[in-house]
Amino acid sequence: MAESGASHGIARTSRVRSEEQRQKDLERIQKYRTLEDQVRQRAADKQFDSETFQLTSKLLRLNPEYYTAWNVRRRCLISGLFSKLLPGSSCSKESSSTSPRDTTTACSEESSSASSIPTPGRPDCQTTGKSGTTADDDLELIKTELHFTIPLLLESPKCYWIWSYRLWVLNQAIERLERPVARRIWEEELGLAEKMLSKDHRNFHAWGYRRHVVAQLESDALGGGSMVEAEFAYTERMFRRDLSNFSAWHNRSRLIPRLLDERGATDAQRKAFLDKELNMIREALNVGPGDQSLWYYHQFLVLNLVTTAGKPTITPAFTLEERISYLTREIEEIKVLLEDYDEDVQLIYEALVDYTLYFSRLEERKPTEEEREDLVSWVAKLKELDPMRNGRWVDLERDQGLVELLPGH
Amino acid sequence: MTTESFKQLPEELKLATSAHVKYIQSLDTRKDEYDYWLTEHLRLNGLYWGLTALHLLGHPDALPRSETIDFVLSCQHENGGFGAAPGHDAHMLSTVSAVQILATVDAFDELESRGKGNGKVQVGNYIASLQNRQTGTFAGDEWGEEDTRFLYGAFNALSLLGLLHLVDVDKAVEHIAACANFDGGYGVSPGAESHSGQIFTCVAALTIAGRQDLIDKERLGRWLSERQVDAGGLNGRPEKKEDVCYSWWVLSSLEMIGKTHWIDREKLIAFILSSQDTEKGGISDRPGDMVDVWHTVFGVAGLSLLDYPGLEPVDEVYCMPKSTTARILGR
Repeated sequence: MAESGASHGIARTSRVRSEEQRQKDLERIQKYRTLEDQVRQRAADKQFDSETFQLTSKLLRLNPEYYTAWNVRRRCLISGLFSKLLPGSSCSKESSSTSPRDTTTACSEESSSASSIPTPGRPDCQTTGKSGTTADDDLELIKTELHFTIPLLLESPKCYWIWSYRLWVLNQAIERLERPVARRIWEEELGLAEKMLSKDHRNFHAWGYRRHVVAQLESDALGGGSMVEAEFAYTERMFRRDLSNFSAWHNRSRLIPRLLDERGATDAQRKAFLDKELNMIREALNVGPGDQSLWYYHQFLVLNLVTTAGKPTITPAFTLEERISYLTREIEEIKVLLEDYDEDVQLIYEALVDYTLYFSRLEERKPTEEEREDLVSWVAKLKELDPMRNGRWVDLERDQGLVELLPGH
Repeated sequence: MTTESFKQLPEELKLATSAHVKYIQSLDTRKDEYDYWLTEHLRLNGLYWGLTALHLLGHPDALPRSETIDFVLSCQHENGGFGAAPGHDAHMLSTVSAVQILATVDAFDELESRGKGNGKVQVGNYIASLQNRQTGTFAGDEWGEEDTRFLYGAFNALSLLGLLHLVDVDKAVEHIAACANFDGGYGVSPGAESHSGQIFTCVAALTIAGRQDLIDKERLGRWLSERQVDAGGLNGRPEKKEDVCYSWWVLSSLEMIGKTHWIDREKLIAFILSSQDTEKGGISDRPGDMVDVWHTVFGVAGLSLLDYPGLEPVDEVYCMPKSTTARILGR
């Protein structure tokens, strides 16, 4: 389940090393292990001070997957490098009456060091965690930490540990800094998410990160309001760049119910919204009828029309007649698409089969004779075009009672 | 494909069992390679991957049992959790691997007698302490990263230990339901895009909880079957490249919902086999790439699910030999 560490897309090469290469490797190993031993020894001795902290920087630059080193780094920060212990932490009795965002706590009053270099901390809880640093130093420290992870993320954009460490640091900002200051820090994270997604527009770490950052910015903790309109617009920017980007379509699908609720959209506005989305995806399908991403989004919109479990999320006020008229229009449009394309596109047949079955289900009837004939011919096409999923088409024939119409049965 | 027709395959399309066994045995001897040290944070996971592959390949004794147990126990912390190796912090991922390894080599009694604190219960308590009681999901460790991978890991290990009652199963199930998407799949957390790896974790966790009724099997089965690309391999998400490890995540999920026949088994078998290094052993993500033990186990486990001849059956929920889960769980 820990994917990192596995080789992806690296060409197989001969594993034979020259003696010189082997010696080089041994030297590297020795350097690495010496560093590793130092960090581990100091952690075992509970020396969570600035020297240990610096050693973790070195180690993590060599190996950002070293989760224990990230943990040691966290311990250094909370055991003394940050200005105060927080209420709720196991040994913070003295400061438990202070707000986590209060910058003038007893701990910081004594501060004397204005150095941006973290001073050695005192891991001993009895000292109430005072370490001579201030909230301003905390801010600097948090910024330094965020800065530290950037080159590592650029190099290892799928490393879980870096992403989670960064979020932990950001949470420290909420806990330790005044709200407007913390908010500014979080706002800058959108830029990082955008940068990471421009390098790999499907990176699910970066998409998840973006959703998390947005949720935090919207939350009371950071005093924010809804960002649903901006995020909705962002999904469009992303799929305009690349229609195959299902991550963007997915995010759009998740934003729509909230978007419409927050707009206070009337039934007419909801209908207009659906029209617009359907038009847009149909246009896209005209360009790329073989693209799964587009069809999945089309399905999402159509499910809104045909769902019987729960209320449709886009147009809850649609009558059955309206649903049927929308669905039949989609089927007709797809039939046009089928005619427009000279070559056979499997996904078009799939959609036709699906939506035709939805139609009869909506009307609570079996497919008509005409529909059955269509279904039989489309499924035959699917079997021909897509033999890999033959088992699925056979099940479909059986479940829909299409078998007996086939010649030879 | 029958056993007979496999015999007529060209060499590169036969499973290079003995090469794979040697490759896995060699993994712990590569101490003069930098990568060996860079991957220490995966050591217990790696042992689980290697051991499982060896069992499925029919060579359960290829790694020395008592050293295996000693190593696993040497990774345990006082709180019951296991780190990736001695000196590494306790984490859900390595703890689950520890439990799976001990289960596979039938050594829970050693955990009881030589493990920290209360033996099995100590481990169970550690895992249970990572559940977020508000949302039902699980963190990977004390620092709080949450992911459906950890939820599945918790269910996997706790059920093997017979300690599932230590956690709020219903809350966890609710959380999984909240991770479902319109396409029938599941993501890392509520709102996240469907991803084959996360689908495996969610579907397997629901299966362990006896709540497959919450799965939209028709829709999910379609999405999963659409992961097979022309090259025969499976991808993890729409419009992505195929990769041998999805031979496990996608295939096991299809198996759990009874739809393995919705993809082309022979093409997938050929894809996995063509990703082997037949000479030096090991399997890679795609033909011609560097091998690693992760792709090796998931390739072999995939072949086992596909009934490739000569392999031990694998349990699609636990990714362990069926003989092990049968012994412990009566599955």
